[in-house]
Amino acid sequence: MLLLLILLLPLLGFVFLGFFGRQLREPLPGVIASALTGLSFLLVVAAVLSGGASWEIKDWLPGIPFSLVLDHLSGYMGLVVTGIGFLIHVYAIGYMHGDEGFSRFFAYLNFFIAMMMTLVLAGSYPVMFIGWEGVGLASFLLIGFWYTEKVNADSARKAFITNRIGDLGFLLGMALLYSLFGTLSIGELREAMESSTVLPLALGTAGLLLFVGAVGKSAQVPLMVWLPDAMAGPTPVSALIHAATMVTAGVYLIARSSFLYANLQDVSYVIAVIGLVTAAYGALSALGQWDIKKIVAYSTISQLGYMFLAVGVGAYWIALFHVMTHAFYKALLFMASGSVIHALGGEQDVRKMGGLKKYLPRTHLHGLAGALSLAGFPLLAGFWSKDAIITATLTYPFGGTGFYIAGLAVAFLTAVYAMRWYALVFLGEYRGSGKPHESPPVMTLPNDVLAVGAIFAGFLALPEPLWNFIEPYLAPALAHVETHHMSLGVEWGLIALSAVVALVGLYLGYLAFNRWTLPAWYRTFQSWSANAFYVDRVYNALIVNPLKELAFIFALFDSFLDTAFVALAGLSAWLGERLARVQAGYVRVYGALMVLGLVAVLVWGVLR
Amino acid sequence: MSYYLLLSALLFAIGLYGVLSRRTAILIFMSIELMLNAANLAFVTFARNSGNLEGQAMALVVIALAAAEVAVGLGIIVAVFRARSSTSVDDLAELRG
Repeated sequence: MLLLLILLLPLLGFVFLGFFGRQLREPLPGVIASALTGLSFLLVVAAVLSGGASWEIKDWLPGIPFSLVLDHLSGYMGLVVTGIGFLIHVYAIGYMHGDEGFSRFFAYLNFFIAMMMTLVLAGSYPVMFIGWEGVGLASFLLIGFWYTEKVNADSARKAFITNRIGDLGFLLGMALLYSLFGTLSIGELREAMESSTVLPLALGTAGLLLFVGAVGKSAQVPLMVWLPDAMAGPTPVSALIHAATMVTAGVYLIARSSFLYANLQDVSYVIAVIGLVTAAYGALSALGQWDIKKIVAYSTISQLGYMFLAVGVGAYWIALFHVMTHAFYKALLFMASGSVIHALGGEQDVRKMGGLKKYLPRTHLHGLAGALSLAGFPLLAGFWSKDAIITATLTYPFGGTGFYIAGLAVAFLTAVYAMRWYALVFLGEYRGSGKPHESPPVMTLPNDVLAVGAIFAGFLALPEPLWNFIEPYLAPALAHVETHHMSLGVEWGLIALSAVVALVGLYLGYLAFNRWTLPAWYRTFQSWSANAFYVDRVYNALIVNPLKELAFIFALFDSFLDTAFVALAGLSAWLGERLARVQAGYVRVYGALMVLGLVAVLVWGVLR
Repeated sequence: MSYYLLLSALLFAIGLYGVLSRRTAILIFMSIELMLNAANLAFVTFARNSGNLEGQAMALVVIALAAAEVAVGLGIIVAVFRARSSTSVDDLAELRG
């Protein structure tokens, strides 16, 4: 019952605010929504402390129960979702101040939390799929929140349609698993997998299909195009849905299904390669963006790529560790960006910022903490989790040296673009007009909490021989993977190496975007990067436009059919009109016709 | 017997002609009565000829039916006359298509 309450509280908020939110005065809907999410967070804490829980309706669908399970994995993820979600709710009270759709916004946010918790707590794939689709819907509604602008509505549809491709993969994967094992309960599948006699090829296909779902939801190459456009939504949405929680659902799905992937070396290899490509693509694109939020959005794609690299090499707990630290520093970066946008009255172009350190001292500290954590500055949260991923490519069974070198190179790029973001926004001279003002406490206080997380969360899981709370905590819920140990000297040598890489990247970034005038080759790269390497244009040319042409042909055929049917209807109407003339209204005519008919029948009868 | 049938046919034809040519509802009505009685005559003729009573019975049924028809039909005609002070059927053409 406790578990059900975790879902129902935010859902109640959604229904209540949806129906009555308009009647409430401004801060009230936000307060209600935040309180319900906070309560949900406390319930998750209580459930985690009590060691876990489960709840189910038997025979929800024939043979498939509706089951919710709170084990170590879903408890961990639930804490991240509701905890960060609560902070962002509070922040949004300040950010959405004075917006016409104030209560609608909070209704959607609560709906999102309810659906995300359904996804997280799901004990079987169909239940997870409900949450999966629900968060997709919430994302659609919130990207298009300011729906009167066509760009926003287009972005919302783009996100929804791109996700649909992934969802088809998820659905097919589920169907295949059901036909192989006759159950979709995650616990039962895990047991069935141990004594499995199923063909590895079939299993691999199922794993790959589920991964397609994850690719769509988590914006991996080649379905990454929707995430940068998703920044059309309000900034708290970008922080909550498109950075901290929803986009990590793909990672969560793979980790939940780790018992499946731990046996599938080929599929895992594909996952790792796609993760690495995504990480590199995101980092390279982030370097050239001019929109303050898009820099952070591409960096999210890049960091998600890191998480998939981690699950691909088999380091499931490290991926989840990175989910947590990333949730802290990326939510912080987004909300600091939101503060900046708020302060500048809606300006998002970094070329019109700069020097904000002086005007926004509090937000400056938040931005600094977030950027350094993202860059992997030694001892901050992002450093520990990213370093854990890069090292894992050497120690975990599906990894390799190639992954290690590429991962390190992307880490260098990460440091450069993180510093670029920081330098363009906060350093140098103010290049805009108007007077920036610091945000209200309701916006800065949640950021304080997030900043603490972004700095210290990494200390929950340190490399050997220091303490590590997360790995043993998550171990029972994840597949067991054999790792080969490195000597402590090599391990700490590698950690020092990645620290040096991050520091060099930061320093180069500082020089490049604060001092140097940039060389010509960089300007070329800049223009490619600013357009995200024209992937949108390529997709438009290869997929979108041909489909539009096809739709046009179908529409032609359709209008031809329409015309034919309209003509047919016209013909019978015309015939009816002619025939109606017979009804002259003269009784004598009717009588004469009757007699004629009678005579005809008689004549026919006699002559026959 | 053929004389009876000839008379019957003649009466029927006169009635039919009346139905088709008259405009006054009353006269059309009378023509219909004429046709009914022509049919009655034919029934009775055949009954006598074949020696059973079925034709006679049928004639009685037709008479009863004609009485009922007169009651209803005259009622309608009176109502129409009251409404439009005319019984010409050509004026009753509102349902023309």
